[in-house]
Amino acid sequence: MPCAKAIYRALLLCYPAAFRHEYGDQMLLMFAEQMGEARRRDGRFEQAALWLHAAFDALTIAPKEHGHVILQDLRYALRTMAAHSGFAAVAILSLALGIGANTAIFSLWNGVLRSPLPAVYKPEQLVILSNPDESGMWSGTWNGLRNFLTYSEFEQLRDHADSFSSVMAAQSSLTNWQVRFDSGEWEEARGRLVSGGFFQALGVGPAIGRTFTSADDTATPIAVISYDYWQRRFGGSPAVLGKAFTLRKTIFTIIGVAPHGFIGETSGQQPDVWLPLRMQPNVFPGRDWLHDAPPAKTMWLHVFGRLKPGVSPAQAEAQSNAIFKAGLESFYGAGASGERRHELLDQRLKIHPGAGGASATRHDFSTSLNALLAAVAVLLLIACANLANLLMARGAVRRPEMALRLSLGASRGRLIRQLVTESLALAAIGGLAGLGAAYFLHGALVRMMAESDPRFQMSFALDPEVLAFAVATTLAAALLFGVLPAWQVTNTDAGASLKEQSRGARGSHAQIRWGRFLVCLQLALSLPLLVGAGLLARTLYNLQRADLGFPAEHLLLVRIDTREAGYDTARRDNLLRDLLGEFKQIPGVRAASFSHLGLFSGGESGLGIEVEGYTAKGANDRDSALDLVGPSYFATLGVPIVLGREILESDDAAGPKVSVINEAFAQRFFAGRNPIGMRITSSNNDRRTTYQIVGVAKNARTQTLRGNIEPRFFVPAEQPPLHENNPTFLIRTTPGTASVRTAVRRSIQQVDAALPILSARSIEEQIAPLLAQDRTTAQFAVVFGCVALTLAAVGLYGVLSYGIARRTGEIAVRIALGAHPRRVIAMILGETMGLVAAGLALGAGLAYAASIPIGSRLYGVAPQDPLTLALATGLLLLVALIAAYLPAHRASRLDPMIALRQE
Amino acid sequence: MPDPKPESPLPVAVFHILIALADRDRHGYSIMQDVAARTEGRVQLSAGTLYSSIRRMLEQGLIEELAESPDPSSTDERRRYYRLTRFGRRAAVAEVARLNSLLQQARATGLVPGA
Repeated sequence: MPCAKAIYRALLLCYPAAFRHEYGDQMLLMFAEQMGEARRRDGRFEQAALWLHAAFDALTIAPKEHGHVILQDLRYALRTMAAHSGFAAVAILSLALGIGANTAIFSLWNGVLRSPLPAVYKPEQLVILSNPDESGMWSGTWNGLRNFLTYSEFEQLRDHADSFSSVMAAQSSLTNWQVRFDSGEWEEARGRLVSGGFFQALGVGPAIGRTFTSADDTATPIAVISYDYWQRRFGGSPAVLGKAFTLRKTIFTIIGVAPHGFIGETSGQQPDVWLPLRMQPNVFPGRDWLHDAPPAKTMWLHVFGRLKPGVSPAQAEAQSNAIFKAGLESFYGAGASGERRHELLDQRLKIHPGAGGASATRHDFSTSLNALLAAVAVLLLIACANLANLLMARGAVRRPEMALRLSLGASRGRLIRQLVTESLALAAIGGLAGLGAAYFLHGALVRMMAESDPRFQMSFALDPEVLAFAVATTLAAALLFGVLPAWQVTNTDAGASLKEQSRGARGSHAQIRWGRFLVCLQLALSLPLLVGAGLLARTLYNLQRADLGFPAEHLLLVRIDTREAGYDTARRDNLLRDLLGEFKQIPGVRAASFSHLGLFSGGESGLGIEVEGYTAKGANDRDSALDLVGPSYFATLGVPIVLGREILESDDAAGPKVSVINEAFAQRFFAGRNPIGMRITSSNNDRRTTYQIVGVAKNARTQTLRGNIEPRFFVPAEQPPLHENNPTFLIRTTPGTASVRTAVRRSIQQVDAALPILSARSIEEQIAPLLAQDRTTAQFAVVFGCVALTLAAVGLYGVLSYGIARRTGEIAVRIALGAHPRRVIAMILGETMGLVAAGLALGAGLAYAASIPIGSRLYGVAPQDPLTLALATGLLLLVALIAAYLPAHRASRLDPMIALRQE
Repeated sequence: MPDPKPESPLPVAVFHILIALADRDRHGYSIMQDVAARTEGRVQLSAGTLYSSIRRMLEQGLIEELAESPDPSSTDERRRYYRLTRFGRRAAVAEVARLNSLLQQARATGLVPGA
């Protein structure tokens, strides 16, 4: 029998403590009696049934009883919340902000940096043979690791690499096309060219119709559209199949719709339409990206492979490189020999994991997103510390209630459970509100990211990972701010506390100590946020005012597409001359020129060079950036010529070949020598052109805002050493570019109505996207910094007010004994400053550690910039002083008589 | 304080307990035995079901616990006795009326033979 009782007692442990406490003995008694009777009757079956019942109760009744207790606590928690609605509102609001910000940034962070490609079959089997972080195109020769592949390289891999079950290629950049359905208006559609095996390699079937197959690696004008575009543009009508649209001069037929959620191979982009790679000449007329003539290659494709089971990435990489190398050998043939051949063949492929797909944004945004995620985590910690403090201060008021309940027999565990349930309920409401906040924050974040990459798109999805994160954050927050106060508030000797209550004093020394610790922690955590905000804000300020080397206003940049319009070299030179003439006639235009690279276009061009009198130090010391420019380029931009002359109209195709170099070029290749009259020989593949240097221009930033200014040489556009790009006109205006912009468009139309204008922007508009990420990060950091500052102030104010309220008696006695109010204030501030100093010292250490990872995003300010640290510390100190002064001032005005009587 | 409305229909275990307490105050084991006897062993309240129901009925005010044993001869002080409250009696009567009306409806349709 004792054994059976022990087992039954163990089963009783399944019930809530309160229930066990109340009825456990009765149940045990009843069970023993039932068992005794069964034994007397010698009913083995009956005994077994009793055990079964007991076990069944533990499994069904016990959880119900737990549910009852939780419900009771919850009801109590909601009542408490309603009774202290001010506190509840503050708590819920700060939690909603904290959890919302964390969820929004986590969702973006997860989506950009970690998520696999949506709707793709087993994405972990995918690998990328090109560089997933890059997008664009490179034509010419290459050295080292390849960013993109050419069409024929893709074909060789597709046909010979048997490490892969399938290989596909996709245009690395997303294009905005003008398309027209039937005889409607031209409208914009985003899309990219893909190989026939694209959908099959990604393991994706159609929603309706069919997708491309490897049989579609032909020049057939067909198209697959995205599910989103189908819904948006066609209302999801199945009649979309067979519908035709015009793009350039080709009519494409829609053959299928990709499945829901599928965005293709690049994360953060949502194409509307996919076209076969082989249609490239129709889609980008005037260019052939499918065939290469030695030694120049057109590299523009991302190539993905799906690994066969059992093949390791290393094996696949070795095989791909073998095929790639063999292709290079046969491409360059025996034409080049010796060192040149060795240089040409020095190219490799590297296999990258392909589950996350390619992404132009991932790499760029990773530092910012990591920093933002860390910042919002710290913000939530600060908010939790603040709430813990408020709860503790409120808990002091509830101590008598707790003491009463303890003296009436409630267990401490029960009270802690109830207080934590209150915190959980607060956090749950905060978390729910946080999800709403996250939705809006996410939208704002994506919009800001799209400022720096207009093709970036990502919708807020409450996927399991984001939801799990939100729930985990909410729970963690509840425990962080709930457990310590619950422990503190119930840590009370019932009798003593009840007696204390009657004397009017509230709270304990331990509570004050914990409160001070929490405030110290808050201050310490706030400082790195403020310092980070300061550093990023100064970076933005510096970038916006970066000295470009020329006036960055009243400058219009207009890019036209001469290739599409079918101009050959000679006709084009005439066209550009005519257009410059036209532009100069426009009222408000002070000067005009053009450049093939344009300003801050994101492109770059460079060539191998030999410089007269300079011995190259190795293979990497034989090239330079260059630009092909029109007459008066430097005068138009406003870049001073420090030596010699600039490019003139007389520097045409027939004239002697001349070049202007920048100071960086002069420094690198002519250290100490006079460069005027010296020669530069450029080599583009096997075409060599020699230029005589006629001038040196001051250094100017024309492509990047960060980093060193690269050595660059400028040659007249009519004396090109390489294939020309589409030109960008630089038009210097008197104030007011708007009217000039319209007039420039009209002039172009007049000269050639078929000439496409690719863009027409002011220099400010051109630079803005380069600053967008810095602006976004800085804005967020400043907002977070302000929130942290406010929370720290509230925390400090709360703790001091509470501490002073506890010391009313002592302060009243001091005043009664003649202490001057100013001395009372000084005393309290003096005590507070110790706490603040400790927090700030700890914070300075944290700020130092936090500044290291954001170093790469800073510009014109050192990560450990003393001024920023001093300013942030000063600001925090000032806010702390104000937060401390208010309760101190109140204390100094105590009427000792009233205060002591209350005591 | 106005009496809250009783649940309707009453859970089976609750109704049995109300009936068991209708004629006299009982302790838990006695309630269990009474229910078993009246139903000829078909309803066997387990300790868990019984005390979970008692907890709920005490909260709802259907029953109350007696401060001391009503049976002076009882030597076992561990036993806790329960008594039907006025509200509990009303709830039981309401439940009987509900069942009665249900029975009459069943008879009216000829589902069961009438009395």
